[in-house]
Amino acid sequence: MNLKDCHNFEDFKKLAKKKLPSPIFHYIDGGSDDEVTLNRNTEAFNDYDLIPNVLNDVSNIDMSTTVLGEKIDFPLFPSATAMHRLYHHEGERASARAVEKMGTIFGTSTMGTVSIEEIGQINKGPKSFQLYIHKDRGLTDNLLERCKKAGFTSLCLTVDTVVAGNRERDRRTGFTTPPKLTLANIIHMTEKGSSIDKSVIDYINEQFDPAMNWKDAEYCVKKWNGPFALKGVMSVEDAKKAIDIGCTAVIVSNHGGRQLDGSRAPFDQLAEIVDAVGDKIEVILDGGVRRGTHVLKALSLGAKACSFGKGYLFALAAGGQKGVEKILANMKTEINRDMKLMGCRTLKELNRSKIIHRRN
Amino acid sequence: MNLGNCHNFYDFRELAKRKLPSPIFHYIDGAADDEITYKRNTSAFDDVDLVPNVLRGVENIDLSTTIFGKKIDLPLYCAPTALQRLFHYDGERAVGKAAQKFNTMFGVSALSTVSVEEIASLIDTPKMFQFYFHKDRGLNDAVMERVKAAKFDVMALTVDTITGGNRERDLRTGFTSPPKLTLSSLFSFAVKPMWGINYLTKGKFELPHLQDHVSEGTSTAVSIGNYFSNMLDQSMNWKDAEKLCSQWGGHFALKGVMSVEDAKRALDIGCTGIMVSNHGGRQLDGSRSPFDQLAAIVDAVGDKMDVICEGGIQRGTHVLKALSLGAKACSGGRLYLYALAGAGQAGVERALNQYRAEIERDMKLMGCTKISDLNRNNLRFRKK
Ligand SMILES: Cc1cc2nc3c(=O)[nH]c(=O)nc-3n(C[C@H](O)[C@H](O)[C@H](O)COP(=O)(O)O)c2cc1C
Ligand SMILES: Cc1cc2nc3c(=O)[nH]c(=O)nc-3n(C[C@H](O)[C@H](O)[C@H](O)COP(=O)(O)O)c2cc1C
Repeated sequence: MNLKDCHNFEDFKKLAKKKLPSPIFHYIDGGSDDEVTLNRNTEAFNDYDLIPNVLNDVSNIDMSTTVLGEKIDFPLFPSATAMHRLYHHEGERASARAVEKMGTIFGTSTMGTVSIEEIGQINKGPKSFQLYIHKDRGLTDNLLERCKKAGFTSLCLTVDTVVAGNRERDRRTGFTTPPKLTLANIIHMTEKGSSIDKSVIDYINEQFDPAMNWKDAEYCVKKWNGPFALKGVMSVEDAKKAIDIGCTAVIVSNHGGRQLDGSRAPFDQLAEIVDAVGDKIEVILDGGVRRGTHVLKALSLGAKACSFGKGYLFALAAGGQKGVEKILANMKTEINRDMKLMGCRTLKELNRSKIIHRRN
Repeated sequence: MNLGNCHNFYDFRELAKRKLPSPIFHYIDGAADDEITYKRNTSAFDDVDLVPNVLRGVENIDLSTTIFGKKIDLPLYCAPTALQRLFHYDGERAVGKAAQKFNTMFGVSALSTVSVEEIASLIDTPKMFQFYFHKDRGLNDAVMERVKAAKFDVMALTVDTITGGNRERDLRTGFTSPPKLTLSSLFSFAVKPMWGINYLTKGKFELPHLQDHVSEGTSTAVSIGNYFSNMLDQSMNWKDAEKLCSQWGGHFALKGVMSVEDAKRALDIGCTGIMVSNHGGRQLDGSRSPFDQLAAIVDAVGDKMDVICEGGIQRGTHVLKALSLGAKACSGGRLYLYALAGAGQAGVERALNQYRAEIERDMKLMGCTKISDLNRNNLRFRKK
């Protein structure tokens, strides 16, 4: 099996499984507790059906949209994820190049393994930096200043990781990051250095600040003073607060089922959030997206765009830059084909009339 | 396993699997993306229950119904499907003759491997031609004229294949039409020698409705996805459909309508019927199943045009459920294609005979003697 046999998410996953040491594969693939939420994230899409329109002249399709202040070629982008050099030796260098080529937003994590500065050099397209607030508050200011300088176009604050989720697969496999791997963004900034020869769970619990609150988030919004997303919002109430503190977007997400098991799937919760705040803030759906039709369903309910994590990480593991390019190209092709089959020429034409809940 | 062991849809499927080279079996059996819509097409029927009436005197059952102005003896017919000579060397001849025996509608695909003229000379029971709207307008006109001259009863314009669906099984098997013998597919063809011998000895494989209009001819290998994406006209719109409808001048249907809005527009442009269909789950995965959508469409247009429920039908009770909701008739593809692949005309006859026997038995058990006895009082939707 090689990259040319990879037609969908499951194929990339299979190839990644062949290539990766098993603890690393399971670190990507696993969720928390019994993985109920992890599985529901994708299954949720199957409770809704698309209803196509026909005879609508679909010779020209425009899939572009504007999210977080940037125009992108199609309404899907990779979510920020930690430590790409674990999955492929080129790490974020490979994914950043691939994403630039495909014309969408590149997200890099505070726990990235290639520095903010280098990513700024490699990727000239839209870029988002995903921030974790550490106990050491000096770190936040430092990171934001460096991101501005490096040309990052938006900031994304993750709020669902105040403590680490119970990732039992990691306990069983004894997953720790290899001693040589450094977190390039926070090197020399944390007390013990950034070489985390410990479990990610311990790192999160020792370094991330569980006291983080709305004031801290507001501080970041002001300090950044540009397009800003809050990642991991699940309740309507919090989505409204995100507007109040000046966010540009909320990313409806449960961290890919890696944090609170038993919590609601983003797609199940999407309509409620769009109804409450969709006209005032960009709503981005994150988690469980495996297919072009999943993106179409989210957009029909009112999401501005979608993001996905595991899909492109498996592709990165399977084939480095080429792998990430391929999965993004596949998804773009699927979205294009599915728009045609739906009889929609622009993303605006996707609305609630095109989707129906099975039980209705 | 042989024809005598085939008692239901799954038996025929098993027989076909044994007889066909695997790329061809998977071309029939497969659907788009994760095949979720394909599965739902059938499982949708399980969300509704039949409620029988008793003591009604059911010794004589009339299964006839009238669609597109033609009386047929079975409320279930053969939907048009492509390339039938790939599945059995007799192809459309076998299916047409079997349909004639049961006096039901025979749907002939634009991609059929036997000409409309030959089919017209073989059978005199109701016939439908399925039209694809090509970029080449000359080809469109020529097909229209030939079908008119062959005196087909219904013209059905397929509207759900504006681009090829993502049939991943075909990507994996490398399915093309006609089959191209690549190293990877050679093995699957080699293990089914009878299929190969018949394919090579029983006449050249062609698409008679297209061959004069495609410069390379139709004996070269192209994938079905490429055919849809390269030859069909993606700019097709309601005006084009309206023109075709008046050009045909007889019973005209749109095949692949799923929204209430489009059903109403079909009526406006002069259609006399629609097939509520998602192409057997082969196009847009994640789209609604015909049976799930049927009631809404029947409510909107059911009294003004023939509404056909197409796809997922594997049992007589599925037909009864669709008719109870207000469909005029049902149609299906795989329900006769596996039988064709398994045993040619005899296979299709056996399959149709079983469906007729099931529908008749189920009518009796429901306490109904004619199709019009079936209505929504016979159905209860399970609450979830
Ligand atoms: C291996 C892995 C590492 C992740 N690292 C981060 C991270 O550093 N910061 C963050 O905000 N989210 C992180 N996430 C969550 C993703 O950003 C995203 O929310 C999630 O993967 C979406 O679900 P999906 O994988 O089903 O698409 C990570 C996810 C995975 C699978
Ligand atoms: C192998 C195969 C070939 C098909 N070819 C055509 C075709 O050429 N034109 C068309 O309009 N529909 C075609 N269809 C769709 C059928 O007309 C019908 O909509 C579908 O088979 C119904 O679903 P069912 O197979 O579950 O009964 C094809 C279906 C199959 C399975």
